[in-house]
Amino acid sequence: MGAMTWPGFLAVHSAWLFLLLIPLIIFYFLKLRRPKLQIPSLALWRSVLADRRVNSPFQKFKRNLLLLLQLLLLVCLVLASMQPFWPSGAERVQNLPVLIDCSASMAALDRPDGLSRLDEAKARIGQLIDEMLPDQRMSLIAVSNTARRLTEFTDDKRVLRAALAELKVSQVASRLEDGLRMTQALARTVPVETAFLYTDGNIPAIVDFELPFQLNFQRLPSGGNNLGITALSAQHRDDQWEVFVRVEGARPGAQQPDGAAANRAATTADDSAPPAAPPPDWNGAAAVQLFKDNRKIAEEAIVLDPGQSQRLEFLVDASGPSAVEVRLMPDGFDALDADNIAYLDLPVARPLTIYCSSELGSYRQALQGIKDVVVYPADEGGDAPASFDLVITDRKEDAELESDTFLFVGVIPDDVGKLLKFGEGTVQIVDWHRSAPLLQHVLLADVQIADTPTSAEGVKDKDYEELGYEILAQARSGPLILQKNLGGKQLSYLLFHTDRSTLPYRVGFPIFVTNVVQMARRQAGLSEVVAQQTGVLPPRTLSPETEYEVTGPDGSRQSSRSSLGGVLSGIAAPVIGRYVVKESGREVASVGVSLLGPSETSLRWIEQLQFREMSVAAAETMLKSDYSLWTWFAGLGFGLLLVEWWYFHHRPAGMA
Amino acid sequence: MEMSPGQTQFTSLLDNATLSRLERMRLNPRRRLTNRSRGEHQSGKGGTSTEFVDYRDYSPGDDVRYVDWNIFSRLEKPFVKLYRHEEEMHVVLVVDASSSMQFEGKFDRAKQLAAALGLLGLMNVERVSAYSCNHLGQEPAFLPPCTGRISRKRLFEFLETIQGSGEFPIEQAVEAVLRRHRGRGIAVVLSDFLTFGDFDRAFNRLFSAGLEIFAIQVLAPSEINPEITGDLRFVDSENGHVLDVSSAGDLLGIYHEHRLALEEELGLACRQRNGRFLSISSRDPLDWVLFDLLRRKGWVR
Repeated sequence: MGAMTWPGFLAVHSAWLFLLLIPLIIFYFLKLRRPKLQIPSLALWRSVLADRRVNSPFQKFKRNLLLLLQLLLLVCLVLASMQPFWPSGAERVQNLPVLIDCSASMAALDRPDGLSRLDEAKARIGQLIDEMLPDQRMSLIAVSNTARRLTEFTDDKRVLRAALAELKVSQVASRLEDGLRMTQALARTVPVETAFLYTDGNIPAIVDFELPFQLNFQRLPSGGNNLGITALSAQHRDDQWEVFVRVEGARPGAQQPDGAAANRAATTADDSAPPAAPPPDWNGAAAVQLFKDNRKIAEEAIVLDPGQSQRLEFLVDASGPSAVEVRLMPDGFDALDADNIAYLDLPVARPLTIYCSSELGSYRQALQGIKDVVVYPADEGGDAPASFDLVITDRKEDAELESDTFLFVGVIPDDVGKLLKFGEGTVQIVDWHRSAPLLQHVLLADVQIADTPTSAEGVKDKDYEELGYEILAQARSGPLILQKNLGGKQLSYLLFHTDRSTLPYRVGFPIFVTNVVQMARRQAGLSEVVAQQTGVLPPRTLSPETEYEVTGPDGSRQSSRSSLGGVLSGIAAPVIGRYVVKESGREVASVGVSLLGPSETSLRWIEQLQFREMSVAAAETMLKSDYSLWTWFAGLGFGLLLVEWWYFHHRPAGMA
Repeated sequence: MEMSPGQTQFTSLLDNATLSRLERMRLNPRRRLTNRSRGEHQSGKGGTSTEFVDYRDYSPGDDVRYVDWNIFSRLEKPFVKLYRHEEEMHVVLVVDASSSMQFEGKFDRAKQLAAALGLLGLMNVERVSAYSCNHLGQEPAFLPPCTGRISRKRLFEFLETIQGSGEFPIEQAVEAVLRRHRGRGIAVVLSDFLTFGDFDRAFNRLFSAGLEIFAIQVLAPSEINPEITGDLRFVDSENGHVLDVSSAGDLLGIYHEHRLALEEELGLACRQRNGRFLSISSRDPLDWVLFDLLRRKGWVR
């Protein structure tokens, strides 16, 4: 049997107001207005009042009903001023940071014409705001792929409600870290013991964050069944684009801790394992329509079981740039609309233009075996284009060429030069980044290198990283291959000349060159085009130092200035649709962004969040907060006032 | 009381028809408390009336006029005839004229009853005197004893002229009356008996003075069945004292109990002194009281 819970008071000092009972009683008896009634004699009435029954305490009490009402009224008002509350049993917190997940999955409906998850969260947080005690302050933080503080810590319920009402779903994937970091920053200004997280649970289970406070993980009820586009890409083949669309059918459920659910979701329809029987309310039928430049060119019907996905392939003419739009039209109820449309911008298909220094014969020879490439300077002569897709050179001055991808062979960047010294002898590569696109499937073991770039004394790897370089391969004495992304350009540096190494004689060399070409193709968007996800628009090279205006699909406008190198970046794209970039009112580019988040489409929830050192389990029950009672006492006081008014003004008195 | 227009009324207190009916009635006291002076009230002792009672032996010195000579001629022994002695009875009317009687016709009804009972006394050739008690410390207004039919006018004029006011408690008024009054008979006390004092002492003194108590309590309808409620401040009509009563409606039950207890106490006090007690409302019809109630109770015959 639990301990009895007693109400608490926030303003105990107001109990002094109980002393007002004394003057009330005094004034009542001094100022009681009684109608005078002349009677023949008081003799009988005196004997009546002297009767023992009349003087019983209950009768006295009953006869002073007006006084009783006034005393009760005053007691109610004083109790209300003492701000009583009924403790919920949970630990009371003074500052409540409330993180609200507003990622795309929060727009999921639980049933046709039902409430979205965000509306559900708003209702619960609204109740929390209503039950806030006067000494509590709340701060609302919207969390999607980033975090945005909606309000300061405030006890102004009107401000909190207004901020809550304006909150909308961002059509982006969830990412919790920014919201927690923002809360951590807030915790430096005010003491924060517990933060509250309201989410549908469709968030990454592993959070790279060290919790300095407690997290109350409030999981909302899940949405309904959902079909959505989770991937959209295209590959160039024979003057055509092969457009690949992946559609997944999702039935809400808990994610498996080992990610099995995600794996299951990725299982294609032609898996050997028979799918489980679909639930009765499941309707996995849908039509996938493909539009090219707003013209429907293909449509395909699909039927999916829960947890299954299907990959569709469409062919699109690659003779010119085109804007592709894929629409998913579910037959039945679909919880989430945001994943039913996806955009893909296809460039013109053309061969890759490569500038390869004439001295690098091994590279030129390797390039001859690669299709759809044009190498400059050509052996037969001819004009070179103004810009290239890839520059392979051993000359530092070729850095002036216009290209998005560079491979410098035996060139030491100026900023790296002071970190290196060159010694005698040969070195071997002892470790390399095997998953880096540049070195995929390239075996660098036992490669002898005559150049011996050696890190100067006291120089560590982090010194290169601070300069923006990533070390892809290194010897015992120092780095051998560096890579840097500079303003959208991909710069790769071989700190040794391949001609003075055994690399050109290795099987891995043509693979290495192919990797470079693939990187250039990807950089130029010629090999494979992947649909852009919501969040931030991809950097785009335009005119240098020019003011651009970007209009979003929801009509929002952002202004941004391109960099010295002409790169326009950092444009927020929280809404799916097409963003139009204009320069002085003239459209210069158009980019479509889509949700394309398998995790968002799956609507699966996590049971617990795993932090670095601890885990936080989800709570589905509504958060209990201390229940403020002063409104009840004030209401009761008002009721007593009405009763007293009625009694005082309507009671019959005197001779009837 | 209805007065027929055009007809000369003997008194404003009682109409002529009532007077006519009253003249045929007599007071009916339990005891024959009479005075030595001769009157028409038969005492039961030997007297000089024409009503024969008994014989006794002649004693020297007896009036020979009362010797029955027929007996003497037959028995040759003188016997004296004894006749019923007719003595005078005193009817004293004590009317409470204090302010408490000035409510809802109480005083008027008391004066009417006093006139009626006084008339019965006069018509029976009794000595009738009347007192009206107003103010404490002052001598009550006084109608000297009068007798005979001829005194009717005096009695009625006295009762018609007395004014109601003052704070004379009835028990003290009775004692003030007894300081002046001489004579045995009937004391008709007309009051509401709403007094803080002890009326036992007054009744004892009446009894000691040879007066049979005819106590009539006259109450107003609002005293018998008060219809009040709420918080009130009662003001005593006699002394102006106040009394705060809350939720008076809730106390009416107890009030009735106390009022009936007072009646019971008054009745008991009268019965213990061979007296009579009657409580009436000032709204009760006078004819019903005089010719029905009093007759049924045996006050008159």
